[in-house]
Amino acid sequence: MEVNVLSAFVFAFFATAAFGVLFQAPKKTLISSGVIGAVGWVLFVLLRHQLGYNSFHANFFAAVVIALGSELSARLFRQPATVFVIPGIIPLVPGLGMYQGMTQIIEKNYELGTATLLTACTDSAAIALGMMVMTSVFRVLKISKERKQRLQRLKNTARNN
Amino acid sequence: MGLNNLKREETLNLAMLIGKVLLKSGAETSRVEDTITRFCQANNCHDVNVFVTPTVIILGDETPNGMGCVCRIRYRSTNLQLISEMNDFSYNLKNWPLDYAATIEYLEGKLKALPPYSSRLVCLASGLSSGCFSVMLGGNSHDFVAAFITGYLAMLLLKKLGGYRPSAFWENALAGAAIGIVAILCCAASVQCTMEKIIVGALMPFLPGVAFTNGLRDYMAGDLISGNSRIAEALLFATSIAIGLAFSLQAWHIWGWDLWK
Repeated sequence: MEVNVLSAFVFAFFATAAFGVLFQAPKKTLISSGVIGAVGWVLFVLLRHQLGYNSFHANFFAAVVIALGSELSARLFRQPATVFVIPGIIPLVPGLGMYQGMTQIIEKNYELGTATLLTACTDSAAIALGMMVMTSVFRVLKISKERKQRLQRLKNTARNN
Repeated sequence: MGLNNLKREETLNLAMLIGKVLLKSGAETSRVEDTITRFCQANNCHDVNVFVTPTVIILGDETPNGMGCVCRIRYRSTNLQLISEMNDFSYNLKNWPLDYAATIEYLEGKLKALPPYSSRLVCLASGLSSGCFSVMLGGNSHDFVAAFITGYLAMLLLKKLGGYRPSAFWENALAGAAIGIVAILCCAASVQCTMEKIIVGALMPFLPGVAFTNGLRDYMAGDLISGNSRIAEALLFATSIAIGLAFSLQAWHIWGWDLWK
């Protein structure tokens, strides 16, 4: 399947930025969260449709990239990372799968409905896992930095005494 | 000035208010717990325990003669601006300019303040994201316009109904029904529209995908009860939207065709 990267980027950008408004995100973060979401969506589409990854892996890698971008811009803009992550993962989240699954169950198509819901579940798990990986890496970096500073301070006081 | 030398009571009071603001603006459980614990420890209350689920904050001492407070949260929405402001607050405790009474007033004001974007802007954003999603999932320009109208009208309906405080189930079911009706009308007006693309695009602002993913994140972080309740909430919302939508589509199949002819 041929993918039009430019149009995917533009539409995902506007969708993510509009979701930022829906979630009442601070004004100065809208553009960067739009870029983060769009990059994640383009990566997902390329992995899924051009390189033929399965949906779990494509979601996982896209979520890792989104979380990385969010943590970096959180440090750049001095905001909590959530402000970027929540609109950023919007293009990925399998809301469509959950809706389709529920509709199929309402239409008494139980087997297909359960399968769709379970797929949505594993996709969400992939996204959550990818985000957790990046968040944990940044937390470890932060804690080790704080520990180093504390050790330095202790050394300084010991030297002064 | 500033928040130095707070009494134990005052600390717990402020901590509860901060938690309330955060949870009402849709912060994750672990963030609320972290912020409250950090605030208490900065004010020399090291043995305060806090337990947060999406609907309640419990704050108390470990000892039997200690204090405890409970706060029930009923209405939650997503307000990232407030989360970011509270984050600034909790990191700038050392040089915070207001004293205790003024801080209480500031936080109470945050609880009552209007969100930064007006509801008209939110409706437009809902329309824009609906249109973009319908194109991202393979729609054409007609689908974009139709999904824009559908998403805009559905969000408008929700905002108008908001004054009556409907339960979340009814809110979503009505939004689903409205989306179904408008999508049918758009398809009747233009041949080049595909019903599925419009519906899928217009549903995106109402779907609880983020709630579901956040629930799984809660599980992974070890907050089992809030993970359970967030996932249950997401499933309930998805069901209610599907019910509303199925209702309007079925009604169209049964009666609408005769009316149209």
